[in-house]
Amino acid sequence: MARILVIEDDVTTAREIATELTAHGHEVAQVHDGQAALDMAMREPFDAITLDRMLPGMDGLVLVERLRERRVLLPVLMISALSDVDDRIAGLRAGGDDYLIKPFASNEMAMRVEVLLRRRQQSSESAILRVGGIELDLIRRKVRVEGEPVRLLHMEFRLLEFLARNAGDVVSRRIIFEQVWGYYFDPGANLINVHIGRLRKKLDRPDKPSAIVTVKGEGYRLDAV
Amino acid sequence: MLSEGLRFRDIRNTSTFRLTLLLGLVAAIGVVALLGLIYGLSARELDSRSDRILRAEAARLEGIRRDQLPDHIRVAIRRSVSGLNYYGLLDREGRPLAGNLRGSSGFVPGHVREIAGRSGRHGPVRLLAVRTAAGETILIGRDITPLVDLRRRVFEVLAFSGVAIALLILIAGTLLSFAPLRRLGRLQRSAHKIAAGHLEERMPILGRGDELDLFAGTVNTMVDEVGRVVSQVKAVTDAVAHDLRTPLTRVRAQLYRAGQQPDISPLLAGKVDAALADLDMVLERFAALLRISELETGSRRAGFHTVDLAALARAAIDLYGPLAEERGIALTLEAADGARMFGDDKLLFEAVGNLIDNAIKFAPAGGRVGIRVRSAGDGVRIEIRDNGPGIPADQRKAVLRRFHRGAGSEGVEGSGLGLSVVAAIAHLHQLSLDFDDAKPGLIARLHSPGR
Repeated sequence: MARILVIEDDVTTAREIATELTAHGHEVAQVHDGQAALDMAMREPFDAITLDRMLPGMDGLVLVERLRERRVLLPVLMISALSDVDDRIAGLRAGGDDYLIKPFASNEMAMRVEVLLRRRQQSSESAILRVGGIELDLIRRKVRVEGEPVRLLHMEFRLLEFLARNAGDVVSRRIIFEQVWGYYFDPGANLINVHIGRLRKKLDRPDKPSAIVTVKGEGYRLDAV
Repeated sequence: MLSEGLRFRDIRNTSTFRLTLLLGLVAAIGVVALLGLIYGLSARELDSRSDRILRAEAARLEGIRRDQLPDHIRVAIRRSVSGLNYYGLLDREGRPLAGNLRGSSGFVPGHVREIAGRSGRHGPVRLLAVRTAAGETILIGRDITPLVDLRRRVFEVLAFSGVAIALLILIAGTLLSFAPLRRLGRLQRSAHKIAAGHLEERMPILGRGDELDLFAGTVNTMVDEVGRVVSQVKAVTDAVAHDLRTPLTRVRAQLYRAGQQPDISPLLAGKVDAALADLDMVLERFAALLRISELETGSRRAGFHTVDLAALARAAIDLYGPLAEERGIALTLEAADGARMFGDDKLLFEAVGNLIDNAIKFAPAGGRVGIRVRSAGDGVRIEIRDNGPGIPADQRKAVLRRFHRGAGSEGVEGSGLGLSVVAAIAHLHQLSLDFDDAKPGLIARLHSPGR
């Protein structure tokens, strides 16, 4: 469970974000204007922030800059009605960690918050990632499944690493495409499916179910098997 | 495009230079013709004056009795202070009888003839021969060295002034062309800035009211209008973005929340899921449309940097290779190193990726898709070729229209906005997007204009 600060001026949207995050087992505090949000973020401990880009009183960009100036290094998911790549770059440059465009699907938003929370937890972890029988050596970039080495291509390794870092959580195709490949357009469902399919072929063992689970309509999850 | 430093080629091509040259040429022809006329008239006048003297002297000698003629000739020679007059008396056979002229052939009695000078003996001479009643011939000559010198000098002056005038015209043309050319360069730089999306830029006006000022004024009015329209479109886009996105987020969220209720009936849950799927499709298209207008109205070139197109194409092959392989399509790349352009790499990747994705969708199973990246002059050319059904020539423009779904796209995933996005990205990068027949199949080409 994590404590999340939801900064959003539209009350219905704020309530929806809160409901979804609560459903994912997090504790949520809501604020509806910039100054109150800044005060609250300084006063109380949080694990992550969702931040509307256009707030009354203070621009979301300014808010995230103020937070960073005050050494508040919490992961920030910026939510914006502006979809231009320049706006995204501005949001990330100001100190945002991820950028989600309105209108968004609630579960997609929650997934992104989970990804940010996971990233924060893992930043000081060891160089070996283990999920069930899968072991990733992050320094030598080697993978073993049930102790047997598996040769992965560069992007396959990055895909597996991302799934492993978020093991147990569903990540959407869009999040995968953004975080693994670094592009912000819709690649179409099939493209990511094919890459997942190839990775599965290399990881799966005949006597076990696939470690990569497809969650219909949502995305993929790496499970410990 | 004018170069930064002015070159003679630029100057030579200006209308000022050509006009100066033409007017100068007309003036030069006029001056030379006038000088020529003066020269011709004065030469004729000098000749005829000298001939009149010859004829008067001839008439005087003809009136003298035959026996006194040799004496008169001797006296006349003696009296010729300048030594420039020549006399001669020839018998019927042309043998000299008196005078300092040793005879001459080829003269016609009664006519004046000019004899070229002989070095060390005499200068050029005009010579008149008259036949006496006794059948003898009197020759009278005048040395016309000063006259010939004068003629030569006048000719030299003409030739020299002709060359000088020509040089002056060239210099004047060049100097006169400098200023308009510099102004034109400034106008051109302004135009390029405006074309690059800096709609606040205006063309410089000097206030002279000349044709360049008039032209710049007209362009500025046009840019004002374009700027006004663009900002209106942008304002509408922003309003749509802000005022519709938040309510749409709410609609989706509430629908989703309704579907999450534990006591929902399976029938209703199915309906909610179907409504969500439809809504997501609408939202996706809405997002794509907004993105196209943002790409078309934005001045995003601030974030541009040098993009290595060969590396970009290799990354695209890595991304789309597995998709092609799954359909048994051979995906090949032919990329020239050094193909670079100024742009946004993420957007260029999206455009190239979209075209590759289309080619893979439309190539037959077991077919082939080839990507070719080349630099062409100072531009670039990216070609994606498949061996699918292609696009009939009369539909190649239509496919760029928003929501267009071509024949043969039934059952193929897509919103009909993909190529509109590619076209918007191409436009932002000042690239052209067009389609050609690969015989069989389609060539989709992104290229710098004229390459």
